Amino acid sequence: MSSGVNMLCFTASFGVALALEVMGLWARPRWRRLAVVVAALAGIVAQTWYLAERANASPWAPLSSQHDWYLSAAWGLAIVYLALVLYQPRASIGLFLLPIVLALIGAARFASTEPMAGAEMPRIWGILHGVFLMLGTIAVLLGFVAGLMYLVQSARLKNKAPLSERFRLPSLEWLERVNARSLIAATILVGLGFVTGVLMRLALRDGSGLQWTDPVVISLSGMFSWLVAAEAFRLAYPAARRGRKVAYLTLAGFVFLVITLSTFMSSKSMHGRGGESAGAGPKTAGTSPAARMQQSRSERAVGFIPTVQQEVTP
Amino acid sequence: MNLRMVGCTHRASGVDLRQQLAFGTEQTSDALARWRERFPTAEFALLSTCNRVELYAAGAGPVEAPETDELVDALLSYHGVPTKRVEGQILSLHQREAVAHLYRVAASLDSMVVGEPQILAQVKQAYQRSVDSGAAGPALHDLFQSALRAARRVYNETSLHKHRVSIPSVAIADFASRVFERFDDKHVLVIGAGEMAEETIRYLQDAGATRIHVVNRSPERALELATAWSGVAVPWERLWDELAAADLVIGATGATEPIVMAERFERVVAPLRQQRPLFILDLAVPRNFEPEVGEQLGVYLYSLDDLAVACERNRDARAAELPAAEQIIVAETDAFMAAAHRRITGPVISGLRRNLEEPKVAELERLFKKLPDLDERSRAEITQFADRLVNKLLHPPLESLRDASQEGPPHGLLDAIRRLFRLEE
Repeated sequence: MSSGVNMLCFTASFGVALALEVMGLWARPRWRRLAVVVAALAGIVAQTWYLAERANASPWAPLSSQHDWYLSAAWGLAIVYLALVLYQPRASIGLFLLPIVLALIGAARFASTEPMAGAEMPRIWGILHGVFLMLGTIAVLLGFVAGLMYLVQSARLKNKAPLSERFRLPSLEWLERVNARSLIAATILVGLGFVTGVLMRLALRDGSGLQWTDPVVISLSGMFSWLVAAEAFRLAYPAARRGRKVAYLTLAGFVFLVITLSTFMSSKSMHGRGGESAGAGPKTAGTSPAARMQQSRSERAVGFIPTVQQEVTP
Repeated sequence: MNLRMVGCTHRASGVDLRQQLAFGTEQTSDALARWRERFPTAEFALLSTCNRVELYAAGAGPVEAPETDELVDALLSYHGVPTKRVEGQILSLHQREAVAHLYRVAASLDSMVVGEPQILAQVKQAYQRSVDSGAAGPALHDLFQSALRAARRVYNETSLHKHRVSIPSVAIADFASRVFERFDDKHVLVIGAGEMAEETIRYLQDAGATRIHVVNRSPERALELATAWSGVAVPWERLWDELAAADLVIGATGATEPIVMAERFERVVAPLRQQRPLFILDLAVPRNFEPEVGEQLGVYLYSLDDLAVACERNRDARAAELPAAEQIIVAETDAFMAAAHRRITGPVISGLRRNLEEPKVAELERLFKKLPDLDERSRAEITQFADRLVNKLLHPPLESLRDASQEGPPHGLLDAIRRLFRLEE
């Protein structure tokens, strides 16, 4: 039975949290921080509920569809945001992180709700593939946000701009550390995601082989190569371990991620069928997970979606 | 309570006199003991900082505390300073003014740098020394506890203390903390060994810095400063090596020309640092660092001019908080004085109550003897009736006393009540 929790619930909660963060640029009443925490927590609880319902309703969940995958990434990033609000209470981190959380939810809204892999795919590899890539995405996004904040903070300090208490960022030292760790984590997690994808394909034994020409595989390979090169550069060249250089490396990693996610959503690849089902999002948005699953099943029943044999992961 | 304060502060007396009258820790204990011997019925507390020397004396009644002249004499004679030397420079306050002054001092409203946080700890120390020396009693206990409460209210209810205004405090708290998350693992290099360098080290140590290296043209002075702050004195020749190793540098020498040139920094230091962040505070006038040093990657160079803007902004922010802080001081002073005045009325109220209680008890006894058949319930009712009657009779004079206490010591009213009810002294 549907609980009535839909995407609007957590989108609104995170929207309120972002509005409170923006409000902090002008006024910081005592209740603001508590309100931010409550709004973010409410959003996370609602999103957890929504994802749990999706997982119950789908035999392939979690992370079975693009829709779920984006929402899970947003959920992970929202948890990171809540932890940072508590750890760095005075910093305006939400101004950088929450737009990305909302953007991921927005992407989920327009993403396909159809399963990316069929029942014949080895479930364990599919889950590992999805989880590693999702965590890798969170690491890249966190590195991007830390890199962006580093550049803003560094520019303010270099230009001796007035450092307002209403727009406070973490110290350069902290941002640099988060940046570097995000880059390491992203390289490892995306690498693991890539490898599990390959293993999943090999485990399938259907003779289709590894589909290296798949647009998502190509862009993911590009991102992984960049992350490995960036990490190697960082380890080999001491100046790249510090300050702006590591920030630039993570910003470039973000560009690769955007390309990969765009390909993920738009191309007719084995990772989903963005072309046809992109319209499914708006039609079903604002409805409960059970309703969305029912709709995706009925679409498949009338042959709207290609057969599962065509939707295989690398 | 009879309270007096005499002393000299940065507002009315010069630094020479303040230094002459200053008390060290042992001198304070010794002086308090001497004054207690000279004025056995009085309580004493001595607050001695670089900006003030203030002697507080209190007694339970009008005669128990020394007069102002006696206190001035006690203060000056300890150091052998002639009265003529301090003419026009000694501040003397009595009762309410003395209370309000201590509150303002504790809340850092009377400080040279308004809002600086050290003074509260110094006031606490002054009181503690007085307690340890046996010179404090109930009067000073109430006074100092209420002063600390007033200061805490100012601290919590206004943002006066949140805006730092001294150059080193702004440099460390508002700028260096935006570069570094922590200071305990940072290599701090202090170039110069003057007052500004020392003050900055103090703030850095408060922030957690432990690895402090001092370079100075005079090695003796470097050693002296390094020893005082548990740092390491480094020979002047190793300045450039130290610059390559440091995370935070304070330039505070009296050199008339820049000592760190951009060209040499780029050639010698930058390759070794490999863009590792370096925060430089150039607190010297003229500058110790060429401004172009700040253009190097990873280098954040702040001069006095850069910091002065932030200090000025914070000063304005503090000024905006002053009226609210002063209101708290007035309210707390009113409350303390009213409580002190109420305490004066204590003996009269006790006498008044006794004057009514004694006849009540006697009359009840007489009545119960006359009516031996009364049961317990009836006796209790009659006793309760008598109690209520006494309380109702007492209520108007007590209310009048309480109201009069708000305005000041109600001596006239107390005298009238004593005469009306024939109360004994």
